[in-house]
Amino acid sequence: MSESPHIVVRDLRKVYKVHEREAGAAASLKSLFKRKYKEVEAVKGISFTIQPGEIVGFLGPNGAGKTTTLKMLSGLLYPTSGEAKVLGFTPWKREPAYLRQLSYVLGNRSQLAWDIPAMDSFIVNQAIYEIPERQFRETLDELVNLLDLEKLLKKPVRGLSLGERMKCELAASLLHRPNVLFLDEPTLGVDVTMQTRIRQFIAEHNQRYGATVILTSHYMADVTALCKRVLVIHHGSLLYDGDLNQLSERIAPFKQVRLDLETPMEASEFAKYGDVVQIEGAKVTLRFPREQTSQVVSRLLTELSVVDLTVEDPAIEEVIDLVFQKVQA
Amino acid sequence: MRYWIRVYAAQLKLATAIMFQYRFSVLIWAIWGFVGPLLGLAIWSAATEAKGGSITSARGVTFSQADFAAYFLVFMIVSHLTMSWDAFEFAFRVRDGNLSPRLLKPVLPIHGDIANNFAFKIVTSTMLLPVWALLFYLLKPNIHFSIVNILIAIPAIFLAVLIRYLFQYCLAMFAFWTTRVEAINQLYFTVDGFLAGRIAPLALFPGWLGVIAYYSPFRSMATFPVEIILGRLPAEQFLTGFLYQIFWLGAGVGLFKLLWAGGMKQYSAVGA
Repeated sequence: MSESPHIVVRDLRKVYKVHEREAGAAASLKSLFKRKYKEVEAVKGISFTIQPGEIVGFLGPNGAGKTTTLKMLSGLLYPTSGEAKVLGFTPWKREPAYLRQLSYVLGNRSQLAWDIPAMDSFIVNQAIYEIPERQFRETLDELVNLLDLEKLLKKPVRGLSLGERMKCELAASLLHRPNVLFLDEPTLGVDVTMQTRIRQFIAEHNQRYGATVILTSHYMADVTALCKRVLVIHHGSLLYDGDLNQLSERIAPFKQVRLDLETPMEASEFAKYGDVVQIEGAKVTLRFPREQTSQVVSRLLTELSVVDLTVEDPAIEEVIDLVFQKVQA
Repeated sequence: MRYWIRVYAAQLKLATAIMFQYRFSVLIWAIWGFVGPLLGLAIWSAATEAKGGSITSARGVTFSQADFAAYFLVFMIVSHLTMSWDAFEFAFRVRDGNLSPRLLKPVLPIHGDIANNFAFKIVTSTMLLPVWALLFYLLKPNIHFSIVNILIAIPAIFLAVLIRYLFQYCLAMFAFWTTRVEAINQLYFTVDGFLAGRIAPLALFPGWLGVIAYYSPFRSMATFPVEIILGRLPAEQFLTGFLYQIFWLGAGVGLFKLLWAGGMKQYSAVGA
């Protein structure tokens, strides 16, 4: 018998009522007596299902509705309408039995006590989540090794760098081995080495404990490294739900070829093969319809003096950008 | 029950560790608590002297200088043990969204806040104990401590701590609806200070004001245990005093539940 999904979302919608007024003293005075409100539909009836142990990337530009959706699923926000079940619970009822199985890492908010070492906050979490001493020590050891926390645990949190703090935040969120993990920009402001470390860690944690993960990030490298499946959201609507690799096939039906030529050529000379994406001396990147791949490649090889040639899918950033451009148009 | 003991013990340790990081500012906050009662004592001492050594209220209650010293010194200690300042911090958390990480935990944020408040009391009371002893020695109050009365006062102080804390927390929760909760809080502090007896003992209040003060929750928040310790309350009034405290505690819990449920809806409607 297959396991039931960890997350089921049906027609979830969130409308914010926002107070609006012009700048200036007169407008300020006017708003004292007559307030103007505007309704902003942040999430427009989205539906999806996530199976146990899946890592799903949640993609979209700023204001797309990613964080609002995660906040509804974590119980921080009441939806305007629709349904959601996470681990069989209705999130916004905020039952302690649900919150014990959940972790939500908010990249810009801290759950750690600022003035004292992170270890003190971990001990409070041990009591709150009723983590048995042995499990607490085991998990802590794992986290210390994987995230290289040894030296950080004794420093006051306020003295840690952004990356170090994020590692401690992750550790605090995972001590109770949550079944569902929401990561909102976990690598925000963190250097490249630390980003890689955090990605590896999330992948390892998911494999070891089978936690279901939803990840939002502005760094596509986070998504490509961790997520097979992505949800693309824009202006509160779900534009795509499926395999990350198929996203480019569906949305961007073209291929790219990177050419290294013996001698440089004019951009206009490539028009008969496809669109020039980039040209830099003897290095050229061309784009053409996916179905013409073999034909274009064989023509390039026979008609030009090619030193090296690589066929590839367009970068995922470009594909996503294309999705948003299409919607805008 | 064992779960809550563990949660509170862990929170208390955390809060105490934070207090020690800011021991100097914590001490200043604690010393601030001296100002009101000592000012009250100075004014009433001067008035007593002008009246020839004692003051008698309309209800026939007499206070000498040493009686005022006893009242304000005991009031100072009880006030310190029951003080609460959560409205400021809570409003700030609601405004900048830092309430959200706390809401993701399986226990309500109020438990951490209560532990924080208790840690403050434990740390600062230990620091202030010699100062209080010195003040008792210097001001020579007219007080005869009775062990029985002190034992009875302990649960009364505990209830007073909870009542004052809950009412303050309820007030703090107005931050869910308004960004100017500090103004409401300031007004509340003034009324609390007056009706709880920070300016004058309730026994000296004129008739109608005395009645209001007697039935208000503020008497249960400080004055009732003070009256027990001073031995100014007839023993037959102890039970009514405790019943009032239980009533106000129930009212505080009810109000907390109501405001929390509404506040959560409001917080999560506008964007947590």
